[in-house]
Amino acid sequence: MVVLRAGLCPGLTEDMIQLLRANGIRTVVDFVSSDLEDIAQKCSVSYKALVAVRRVLLAQFSAFPANGADLYEELKSSTAILPTGSPSLDQLLDSGLYTGEVTELMGAPGSGKTQVCLGIAASVSLALRQHVLFLDSTGGFTASRLYQLLRAHTEDEEEQAILGRPRLCPVLQLEALQRVQVERVFNIYEVLSALQELRDRLSQQVVSSVGPLKMVVLDSVSAVIYPLLGGRQSEGLALMMQLSRELKSLAREFSLAVVVTNQVTRDSSSGPLKPALGRSWSFVPSTRVLLESKETTWEKSSPQRAASLAKSPRQPTGIQVELDIG
Amino acid sequence: MQREVGTLPLAPALRARLAAAGFQTAQELLDTGPCGLSKEIGISREEALEALQVVRQECHGHAARTAGGSGTTRKCTALELLEEEQTQGFIITFCSALDNILGGGVQLTKITEICGAPGVGKTQLCMQLAVDVQIPECLGGVAGEAVFIDTEGSFMVDRVVDMAAACVQHCHLIAEAQPEEDHRKALETFSLENILSHIYYFRCRDYTELLAQVYLLPEFLSEHSKVRLVVIDGIAFPFRHDFEDLSLRTRLLNGLAQQLIIIANDHRAAVVLTNQMTTRIGQSQSTLVPALGESWGHAATVRLIFHWDNSQRLATLYKSPSQKESTIAYHITSHGFRDVQPPAVTPSTEGTELNPRKRPRTEEEKQ
Repeated sequence: MVVLRAGLCPGLTEDMIQLLRANGIRTVVDFVSSDLEDIAQKCSVSYKALVAVRRVLLAQFSAFPANGADLYEELKSSTAILPTGSPSLDQLLDSGLYTGEVTELMGAPGSGKTQVCLGIAASVSLALRQHVLFLDSTGGFTASRLYQLLRAHTEDEEEQAILGRPRLCPVLQLEALQRVQVERVFNIYEVLSALQELRDRLSQQVVSSVGPLKMVVLDSVSAVIYPLLGGRQSEGLALMMQLSRELKSLAREFSLAVVVTNQVTRDSSSGPLKPALGRSWSFVPSTRVLLESKETTWEKSSPQRAASLAKSPRQPTGIQVELDIG
Repeated sequence: MQREVGTLPLAPALRARLAAAGFQTAQELLDTGPCGLSKEIGISREEALEALQVVRQECHGHAARTAGGSGTTRKCTALELLEEEQTQGFIITFCSALDNILGGGVQLTKITEICGAPGVGKTQLCMQLAVDVQIPECLGGVAGEAVFIDTEGSFMVDRVVDMAAACVQHCHLIAEAQPEEDHRKALETFSLENILSHIYYFRCRDYTELLAQVYLLPEFLSEHSKVRLVVIDGIAFPFRHDFEDLSLRTRLLNGLAQQLIIIANDHRAAVVLTNQMTTRIGQSQSTLVPALGESWGHAATVRLIFHWDNSQRLATLYKSPSQKESTIAYHITSHGFRDVQPPAVTPSTEGTELNPRKRPRTEEEKQ
């Protein structure tokens, strides 16, 4: 809803705006959707001038339809599939994380969401040499654990590599660490501000610090939105939708893979687990993976973790795989 | 700035009016100016000025952050974080098994939650940590002060005196074993009175007082910048009784959790919370789970569950970002929180009292 202002297009003068406003037409939408003959009579402005203004405004502000074939070609050339570093998870996600989409990992506390995110970040920054932006809202990002995962990855690769160059390995890991940028955001406005900053940087194509950014991880989205939802606060839902719009448009426009983590809650103390943030949020991610740890008592040494697919545009839901968090 | 009006931290009523007037981006707001703005939406000139101030701060605030880097740089690469973490100290608990499973001790800048049944030793550990955080750096501590927020009234000063005396004695023994100049200098200031004077105690009686205390804590911490530990003993207690609206409780707890993470991060302090246990009745059996619901489980970064096994106390690391889950046994003696078997290296005079014979549950050492 853009307000009509002088200079928005040639022919839209200040007097015309005052006359239009006197008749209740303030924004572009009001102007374009109203009957021009009617306005010409009421405001005593020439009909031709109004038609000319309308044509320019429509050209400026309307969206253009795109051809399906063109869209397909564009998607083929711009979408990349990022392997997550864990073959079972790749199998679940149909060979990896798709750029241009939002993927959600949900699970109970301690089920391994942050660990899986760290694993994916390690794989992307080490194997693919792409930059990763990690937005941490829970304080759970531990750089030493990321380093541990990177070391484990390079050890695997060393076994497969023919030329053994052990001295270069620490350099590779340090380079990979530099490619992961961590930003601590603790409330919704900081998240939105960080995403806006990212958008500015990417659209201006400042190559220095960002580099080829391919992935954005937001851990966790429910921690920043939960305090706003419910009760008499009406803005929580609006902010959540703003956030979802930012994430999806960033993913689509700049070909990024966006990963978010979410909590699970129960309806009552004995009900089944369901993802947090309600039904409105459930439409935002295109793929949802539920992480569970299959252990019943606390004394078991290393619990088995399972990941199951709850929502996917490509695979049948309900597939379950075993995950190993190194 | 192409920042949308909906994403700026303004009051909801103001935001609704701006949307109705057709403003979309922050740049449009800044272009209009306060007079134009107050005319367009029908608010007073002071309110328009205030709103524009907020907008300007948001838009230029992050420009300043990208350019220079203000005091609390929340943005860095993983490499810088790794270096920071490696130089960061831990708060030891004097129980080496527990320190091992935690990866060195209670970590700074993280929230640690201790859950357990009544009488298992949560308050004991909190008091021990309040003493241990003050150990000088040359002896392996972080040389910080402690804030103790008590909601249950279980803080016993005489017990802290016992623990502090034992800690001072322990440090003196270490210093004698390895005599160094800075050890002696540090130990001059490490005395019983000093330890007690650096534990700041707050008593909160209901959830409103607790919330107020936590939201006012950043100011207190900026005055006392040496605080490295914030203990909230009994976060479950004020929220569990007399609370009809459960969704309000979830919201308040989540807001509290975010505030605590901000405090932990900005002031480089460790936050330790204690929680109670509740029973979840399943189909065939009932299990003990931490209280305050599912969503509270996500608030803490590290979660420890203390439980009994016949008459041995066990601690299980249930959730941690960098350590594996494991269980160890611990002991509570008159000197505080200790291992079950004392490590052979330390020439401790506690050897006679630290009897590995399991003490029965009824005989409690804490007065």
